[in-house]
Amino acid sequence: MPLAPVNDHVTMDQLTRDPYPIYRRMRAETPVVRVSSVKRTFLTKAAFTKYVKDTPEIFSSNDPNTPMKPAFRAHTLMRKDGAEHRRERMAMQMAYTPKVIKQDWADLYRGIVDDYLDRLPRGETVDMFTEICGPVSAAILTHILGLEGATTEQMQRWSQNLIDGAGNFGWKPEPFAVSDKANDEMDAHFASLEDRHLAEPNNSAFSIMLNAKDPIPKSQIYANLKIAIGGGINEPRDAMATILFGLLTNPEQLEEVKRQEAWGAAFEEGIRWVAPIQASSRLVLEDVQIGGFDIPRGDTVMTIQASSNRDEDLFENGEDYVVFRDKNVHQAFGSGPHHCAGAHIARRTVGEIMIPALFERFPNMSLPDPDAVKWRGFGFRGPINMPITLN
Amino acid sequence: MVKVIYVAKDGTRTEVKAQVGDTVMQTALDNDVAGIVGECGGSMMCATCHCYVDDAWTDAAGPRKDGEDDMLDCAADEVKETSRLSCQIQLTPELNGLVVHLPEDQV
Ligand code: FES
Repeated sequence: MPLAPVNDHVTMDQLTRDPYPIYRRMRAETPVVRVSSVKRTFLTKAAFTKYVKDTPEIFSSNDPNTPMKPAFRAHTLMRKDGAEHRRERMAMQMAYTPKVIKQDWADLYRGIVDDYLDRLPRGETVDMFTEICGPVSAAILTHILGLEGATTEQMQRWSQNLIDGAGNFGWKPEPFAVSDKANDEMDAHFASLEDRHLAEPNNSAFSIMLNAKDPIPKSQIYANLKIAIGGGINEPRDAMATILFGLLTNPEQLEEVKRQEAWGAAFEEGIRWVAPIQASSRLVLEDVQIGGFDIPRGDTVMTIQASSNRDEDLFENGEDYVVFRDKNVHQAFGSGPHHCAGAHIARRTVGEIMIPALFERFPNMSLPDPDAVKWRGFGFRGPINMPITLN
Repeated sequence: MVKVIYVAKDGTRTEVKAQVGDTVMQTALDNDVAGIVGECGGSMMCATCHCYVDDAWTDAAGPRKDGEDDMLDCAADEVKETSRLSCQIQLTPELNGLVVHLPEDQV
């Protein structure tokens, strides 16, 4: 079979500004394509991306030689396969279960959201992205992980520093200097909390990992906490902002969502429409074929779940935000062994608590100028502002 | 071919034909049976394929697999003695006629 065609005109800048028209074209014309500017083979159809994620024997996550390692000062579970990955992941999974959220945390989260909403002025236009989406996500994550004492500013900064370091494929020294400093601060904060978590076991991720019968090494406990910080703030933040945009620009749907209390469906549709994590990489371990093309061993494929989520084979009007779909089998949480560990938490916190609380408090809030909302991102994507008028 | 019967929380029974070797999760997805999500594709990482094996079938379905207990703790609905992750039940000729009950919530 032939090798996949090459696309040498699409630029990183175009993909960062608005990848969706590009993906639509790729799905129609070149669903498997080597994109020169990114040096990856893009897979833009749902069947291909699911196959790759569900077949870790051929498509490995294990790649210790990415900038993620210096950025996190660890080879993290995100870049491991098999039993090693499972052990490190299961070590913290119990903190992320629906039951723990319901029993231990739901009231606390509602309180946090209310607290932030109390501070907002009525009758004014506020950037909800910076005032609510970011800080509330950070505050909630602080409790889930058991990192009391860290401020939401710190949590958000650490998260961004880790992400910037992990994305530093140019291997420039500055982003690593910044992530090193963040690592020092995180390590010191974690160390200061250990005794308390050991003395008073609780259902936070840190405590669960420390108090396990057969705990994973301390270095991996720290690495897991950093992965959760790097992956647990921007995604709920971006999902929340995207859903607000979707609902406020589709008032009839919003009315129906309120009437049926279909917040869960509004959440699922938001992350389908603009998946906070748009693309993932896998290393190809053996020669394989996808969609009629030879993919040689050693290649790196990129699953573009952002595109799969709008695949015409699965979705009608996939380019639009449509809450009431018959079926919504999106891949926003991925699939396979690396299926998002925070999926249950995101559904419960963003879908069942945060979004309804916002509309309860400000039933008539509006987005006066949808065009003023800017969207950014290739690997991670979402709005970067959300000027909403509160009343 | 074997037969699998899914019983929803409200009592609705859906009977489907399934391939020996397929899992109870995959069979549900292939036949559009509502109530099984199976979001991780059978990697035992999501607990959105939770089911209760009917009392008459628990022996035939066999014991939980290694690691299944831990993942079941992550299920959205109550975990009972008969709880299984349906992605870990592979259909055999002996399971012809298998009845599984579905929980109210998977997410
Ligand atoms: S399909 Fe995810 S645990 Fe069974």
